[in-house]
Amino acid sequence: MERDSRNHGMNLRFSFTPYPVVGMSRPVLRRYIEGQDPISGKPLVPELLEALTKPLADQEKNAERVERPARPRLLEPDTEDNLQRLFLENGWTDGLPIVLPTHERVAEMLLGTSHAPDEVVGRMTVTTTQERIEYTVEKVAVNAVMAGARPEHFPVILAIAATQEPAFPSSTTSFARMVVVNGPIRDEIGMNSGVGALSPFNFANSVIGRAWTLMSINLADSRLGETFMGSQGHNLNYNNMCCAENEEKSVWEPFHVQKGFKPEESVISLFRGWSVINSMGAANAVRPASEETVIMLKAFPALRSAATLVMDPLVAKGLKDQGFKTKQDFSRWLSENVKIPAEQYWGADIIYAFVAPLARQGIEPFASWSKLPKDAPIAPYHDPRQINILVVGGETNPLWLTTDFVYTQSSSVDKWRPKGGIRRDARSIRMPAAVACSDGTCGIG
Amino acid sequence: MAQTTQSTLGSSLQTVLNPQGQPTGAFEPLSMAPRLDSLNGKTVYLVDVGFAGGYEFLEELRAWFSRNMPAVETILRRKQGNMFLDDPELWAEVKGKGHAVIFGVGG
Repeated sequence: MERDSRNHGMNLRFSFTPYPVVGMSRPVLRRYIEGQDPISGKPLVPELLEALTKPLADQEKNAERVERPARPRLLEPDTEDNLQRLFLENGWTDGLPIVLPTHERVAEMLLGTSHAPDEVVGRMTVTTTQERIEYTVEKVAVNAVMAGARPEHFPVILAIAATQEPAFPSSTTSFARMVVVNGPIRDEIGMNSGVGALSPFNFANSVIGRAWTLMSINLADSRLGETFMGSQGHNLNYNNMCCAENEEKSVWEPFHVQKGFKPEESVISLFRGWSVINSMGAANAVRPASEETVIMLKAFPALRSAATLVMDPLVAKGLKDQGFKTKQDFSRWLSENVKIPAEQYWGADIIYAFVAPLARQGIEPFASWSKLPKDAPIAPYHDPRQINILVVGGETNPLWLTTDFVYTQSSSVDKWRPKGGIRRDARSIRMPAAVACSDGTCGIG
Repeated sequence: MAQTTQSTLGSSLQTVLNPQGQPTGAFEPLSMAPRLDSLNGKTVYLVDVGFAGGYEFLEELRAWFSRNMPAVETILRRKQGNMFLDDPELWAEVKGKGHAVIFGVGG
């Protein structure tokens, strides 16, 4: 907390109560107030009064600019074992061994783009209250090497870096993220959008997703217990659900085209949320996929009206046969048909924190919803534009994932390509397995 | 053979690049507001920034002031928007009408 305030150039006087505050009864809150600050050990209220009345120290009166020293470009030479240990001990990794970013490896990675090594790509932070950390093309290359990436992956990794979004923004709630790739680059670098696209098999999917994690640690200064405070953390942060959309098997428009890009453009799109529910069996086996999705969406608080469905191409085909000609058709239908009691909506902590203030400000539809009886039905996914649909999978079973993920932004990969074209190995490494079934029939039954 | 190669690589010195980005220091220093000699007769704003539980805590804190320091006027307010959004109107009100402020951060 003190570092947080220093990063704003201002000292602040903090007092702490026992934790948590949320969900505590009034008697407990009163005991907090009449008790002690667990950090300082002093009685809480006298400490608060002192904070308001004790004269300022010189440092508090005359704030000085606090600048952290520039970090050296190179580390002290050492053995491979010692350097691996150094990276782990300094918290520069995801807890797994990394590929050491030697001069030679970083130089080779830089061949994956035509941009200069010293070009500033952006600034990132895991929490908006912290100082933003600046990074260059070379810094992104260093983290890409550490992740095990090859130069052909570098344009995609740079596109992610250019968003300036960390893979795990600091929140005690522990965010999950997803990065999805569209366009020709998918095939050029051998990404998997088919069988097992979200499983740890494909080289490109794995190293690109991991690179985003390492960039978040090193380029956004994510430090466990200091700038990252996710109470439980999130296992999806190891790879951030990195995959490609299966445009070839999808009966609908690719996601990046929905966002205004041309089909021939290569684009990454980012999503953020917490929860993923697997469909409870095959689509249409008993209940139509549309109705099953309604049931699953009711489990989420519908923050910002956001949801993201990741469905096997067979599910999309089935929905199209049901009459949903476009992704937008299905999103609109879900928006109209998911209904929950007002009490369920307003009872969610995340709605209390983010939506109740909007209701109090008179912003609709939340203001009206807040006045409804407890059992009145509301359609919490009121904005169908926030319900995203991605087609991913290999048609071995018509299943889908329902998530509470919000779409955050897309970013062009093409601007980061090398002028001479994508450099790739002569022999493809762990390319996606061929899809044995092309007409959809093998996945049913 | 593979073990011998690994051992050889492991003992030679290597120079590697630092993976961390650069601090920007892009902030201006601010001094704290002067402290009060006493809270008697003064108005203290209790501002909930929006994390769950904070408002309820500040309600109890306000009740404590009423019971124990009635000479202090307390005004309990919620910051507009969620916890990550600015509220310049409230800051202006606090500066205009208040003598001190306690921010409550729940969660």
